[in-house]
Amino acid sequence: MREIIMAELSQAMQEMLRSAAHLLPRLIVMLIIAIIGWVVAYVLKWILRSILVLVKFDKVSENAGASQFLSHAALPTPTELVSRFVFWVAWLGFILLGVNFLGIGGLQQHVSKFFLFLPRMFVALFIIFFGMLLASFFSRAALLAAVNKNWGSPRLLSIAIRTITVIFVFSMVFEELGLAQETMLLAFGIAFGAAMLGFAIAFGIGGQDLARQFLERRFMQEKGNEKEEEPSPL
Amino acid sequence: MAEVTVLTDDLIRQLINVGEVDLLVGLPTHNNAETVGGVVQAIQAGILKSFPRERTAILNVDAGSKDGTADVVMASSINDLRRAYNTHALRTLPSITTRYAGSPSSETALHTVLAASDLLRAKACVVISPESVNIEPGWVDALLRPVYRDRIDFVAPIYRRPKFEGMLVSNVVYPLMRALYGQKIREPYPADFGFSAQFGNEFLAQHSWHDETGQFGTELEMVLSAIAGGRRISQTFLGTKSRSEQHPDLVAAMRQTVGVLFASMEVKSPDWTNPQVATVLPTNGPEYEVTLEPVRVNKKRLSQMFSSGVSELAPVLQSILAPPTLDALRQIAALDGDALRYPAELWAKTVYEFAASHHKSVMSRDHIVQALVPLYRGRALTFLMENRSASAEEVEANIEALCHEFERLKPYLVDLWNGGK
Amino acid sequence: MPARQDSLWYKSAVIYQVHVRAFYDSNGDGIGDFQGLAQKLDYLKDLGIDAIWLMPFFPSPLRDDGYDISDYRSVHPSYGTLEDFKKFLTAAHERQIRVIVEMVLNHTSDQHPWFQESRGSRNNPKRDWYVWSDTDTRYKGARIIFLDTEMSNWAWDPISKSYYWHRFFSHQPDLNYDNPIVREEMWSVMRFWLDLGVDGFRLDAVPYLVEREGTSCENLPETHAIIKDLRKKLDKDYPERLLLAEANQWPADLRPYFGDGDEFHMAFHFPLMPRMFMALKLEDRKPITEILQQTPEIPPSCQWALFLRNHDELTLEMVTDIERDYMYDSYALDKTMRINLGIRRRLAPLLDSDRRRIELMNGMLMSLPGTPIIYYGDEIGMGDNVKLGDRNGVRTPMQWSGGWNGGFSAADPESLYAPLLLNPVYGFQAVNVLSQKRIEHSLLSWTQNIVRARRSTPVFGSGSIEFLYPANYRVLAYVRELQNETILVVNNLSSSAQAVELDLSKHKGRIPIEMFGKNLFPRIGNTPYLLTMGPYQFFWFRLRRI
Repeated sequence: MREIIMAELSQAMQEMLRSAAHLLPRLIVMLIIAIIGWVVAYVLKWILRSILVLVKFDKVSENAGASQFLSHAALPTPTELVSRFVFWVAWLGFILLGVNFLGIGGLQQHVSKFFLFLPRMFVALFIIFFGMLLASFFSRAALLAAVNKNWGSPRLLSIAIRTITVIFVFSMVFEELGLAQETMLLAFGIAFGAAMLGFAIAFGIGGQDLARQFLERRFMQEKGNEKEEEPSPL
Repeated sequence: MAEVTVLTDDLIRQLINVGEVDLLVGLPTHNNAETVGGVVQAIQAGILKSFPRERTAILNVDAGSKDGTADVVMASSINDLRRAYNTHALRTLPSITTRYAGSPSSETALHTVLAASDLLRAKACVVISPESVNIEPGWVDALLRPVYRDRIDFVAPIYRRPKFEGMLVSNVVYPLMRALYGQKIREPYPADFGFSAQFGNEFLAQHSWHDETGQFGTELEMVLSAIAGGRRISQTFLGTKSRSEQHPDLVAAMRQTVGVLFASMEVKSPDWTNPQVATVLPTNGPEYEVTLEPVRVNKKRLSQMFSSGVSELAPVLQSILAPPTLDALRQIAALDGDALRYPAELWAKTVYEFAASHHKSVMSRDHIVQALVPLYRGRALTFLMENRSASAEEVEANIEALCHEFERLKPYLVDLWNGGK
Repeated sequence: MPARQDSLWYKSAVIYQVHVRAFYDSNGDGIGDFQGLAQKLDYLKDLGIDAIWLMPFFPSPLRDDGYDISDYRSVHPSYGTLEDFKKFLTAAHERQIRVIVEMVLNHTSDQHPWFQESRGSRNNPKRDWYVWSDTDTRYKGARIIFLDTEMSNWAWDPISKSYYWHRFFSHQPDLNYDNPIVREEMWSVMRFWLDLGVDGFRLDAVPYLVEREGTSCENLPETHAIIKDLRKKLDKDYPERLLLAEANQWPADLRPYFGDGDEFHMAFHFPLMPRMFMALKLEDRKPITEILQQTPEIPPSCQWALFLRNHDELTLEMVTDIERDYMYDSYALDKTMRINLGIRRRLAPLLDSDRRRIELMNGMLMSLPGTPIIYYGDEIGMGDNVKLGDRNGVRTPMQWSGGWNGGFSAADPESLYAPLLLNPVYGFQAVNVLSQKRIEHSLLSWTQNIVRARRSTPVFGSGSIEFLYPANYRVLAYVRELQNETILVVNNLSSSAQAVELDLSKHKGRIPIEMFGKNLFPRIGNTPYLLTMGPYQFFWFRLRRI
């Protein structure tokens, strides 16, 4: 009996050693890939950072309102953030490539999913970035318009526009990422609806004057009155 | 040669029939049927009186009027078809009209007039606003003679106006232009003006035309171009400026004037950064005339819009103005209506800081221009209050004082422009 | 008698205005005469004209170039005898050329025996033949015509110690047409010439025949009555004879001189002439079209007489002050060229001897509605001499050749009635008939061609006129029509090339045939007819329907 067990054990040991012998080179390769990946990612980060500094990315993000947000959250500057993000993504990518190389069956599927996911993630980031810019732009435009036309509650209007735009942007992002699509759809619907309802109430109660003025202007064409109160500026 | 895109086939055909002219009168219109008839007659009377032997044509550039404006102009043509013997007309004085698509745009209208002037080889041109119901035949002579006989390149008008009309010009455009370029052009955004063909052709070739969208403010760009090109500019007194039915709202006016001015500062020629001594231009007639008719102004509204503007636009203004300026504004905004005073020095600083921010594009440039509007209202209110019972001379003296502030603080602008905040 | 029996002959005629003194001297005394004129009839026949209008040739002290007449029934001895005249008349008629003579009805010379008698005493039987007054304050409404020389329309006669009325020079006292004897006598004078065979009269200064207090003394109804009477007599005994009125008036005021076809056959269209020159300088057809728009319809048997220049100054009476100043500045900057509200220059110098402009003006002359009159010498482009006084600068001797005295006379050059032109541009060696006859494309040849073209159709003389008003106002275009014939005339008044679109929709389908070269032009279709024209170019198109 003991001899059988020993024989089996030694066979198993041999097989293990054999598999290990198979695996070891691959592990080493994986490590090498990971190290190379680190170097490449670092270079990428460096290049990207230089480009972003050249393009004054921080400035632009300031417009997007990103800087304020980030400094509030005690996070580093947008340039730094983006560079680091790219670094990690790149390195992770290489590591996963290495893992893929290990040839472990189920893992490969997940790895390819990851790589498939990457572009969509970038698109999503892109959407967020420009979406925030737009939100900022529209909200400021609304603020200025409201102030200059002497509508009531310009801040409210401005925030409303910004909020709506942001919600819209994020729902697009989630849709793009394919994350919990139905949930997001529903949530967006609810949030949007709620926001609109909230604003309608606020508008109705707080923005009565604004509403009245708007309707008057639209349907009663009383431009004359307003203009008469101001002499021609030119 | 001339840009071809604004010239429709129909207009070219009409230009062929008009042939070479010595003088061209441009008349941009949009739904002016009520007033344009009288204006055209005054123009014709002026031409027949002062330039009877010159070959002249009246070109109406219409923005798609629906009230028959173009027909009124065409019917006024002096030719042998009319059988209404004008014994004062030595030769045919044709009136032609062309229509451009899209919304009314003084840029397109001016572009058309310049292109036509180039093709017709006119020696001198004059643009008259169809709303100038107070026009007299002498206006044509006043605007054309310096160009046609004295070789002036650009003739700007001087009007007789109520003292509180045109405050945007007298409180912003005029002082700013004067400080930047040293030219005391009292009406730098003219509705009626004259220019030489030489200068017109130069402007036609150099300016980048945007004919697709409704654009305004090109007249100001033309004045700036004349200054930049070292052209001979003069002013001439015309008469009472007619009250316009269609004056633009304040934001649009701000865009057309201040927006254009700020943009022009980007171009380094002429080099406005040099200190300028304001030179008086050759002027025919009085340099200004102010009437003291009372104007109904809603002061409370102005004050309220200023104050609310300062507070509501705080996040925007923070990016534009220097902290001391913004603080000062806040203090003023906190004052009660009648006590509100926006002093000249602060105003000059405000405008300069806006100009610098515009240059640095701290945000969308159009937004920067828009943000100036409520602050201007405060300034306008101050101007109103200070000059409430002032005489004509006193008003001009106050404007002069404001101009001096702008000139005095110019180094501050240059500093801001070149350095940081 | 001319073979062509045609009571409306004057409508299709081309008339040649000539002064016998200036045309050809046959006897070497330095002054042209009738024998000489007769010798040159073949030249005129070749030119293609139908009638000669003779300037005054009656005996006269010649203080107004023959318009001051001292004998109505004779010929001035310098020009020959009455016999010479008769021979000339016969020779003209043999060549189918009619002869129109000048009849100065309004006044005589103060050397005329009638006036000598009239002024003799207040009781003289012929006293009433002239208009006398003790004061010079009557008829204040009458303007002075010879502004440069006369101060008043009254002149003091030292012999009879009273004033006599003269609308022209003071040595040309006005006859008194309120006196029936005067009217009888003048008709008898006319009969004298009509009996000789003369084909018509140009009646000088008709508007001034009668004076009335409180009026301008021009165009009065009494004057018209006299003319109607004359015409009635003429029609009765001398059909086919012509009465041509010289009345420098606005078209509306000219209209009465045609009556209902019972006064003058023809009258000069004075206001049109300066406007043709003005339109040319302005490069704008407006002056021409406007005056013709204002020209009233005339009876079908009547006809306008058109001309570019004549023996008088280019009159600027019938224009506004602005127009007159413009004409002066354009055509007579040198003030010595101006006289009496006019310009005393010939056609060629006025147009800078520009062949194209001369052709264009002649083209209009030949195609506008009326009978054209060519002033002698203009067919070769003769120049003028402004140094000669009064209007004599445009009455210099005809230049026949480059030889002795320009072929005008065998006399010594100093004996000539007026000096020849000698300058290199217009002198007789540069401009003369002989050299132009030798050149195919000379102005003379061209004039012969255009006269021939005009005579090739009755449309020009008798047809209707309809102006086209193309948007290009530098182009004057009109359509002449008579029964089945239609002619389109297009004139480019500008010194530069022009494009013009004509609305010929009424004549759709017709083929324009250019009348000089006889070439076909594109058929008239639905769209406006585009023509491109060189500077000062003109077209005559026959619009044929085939």
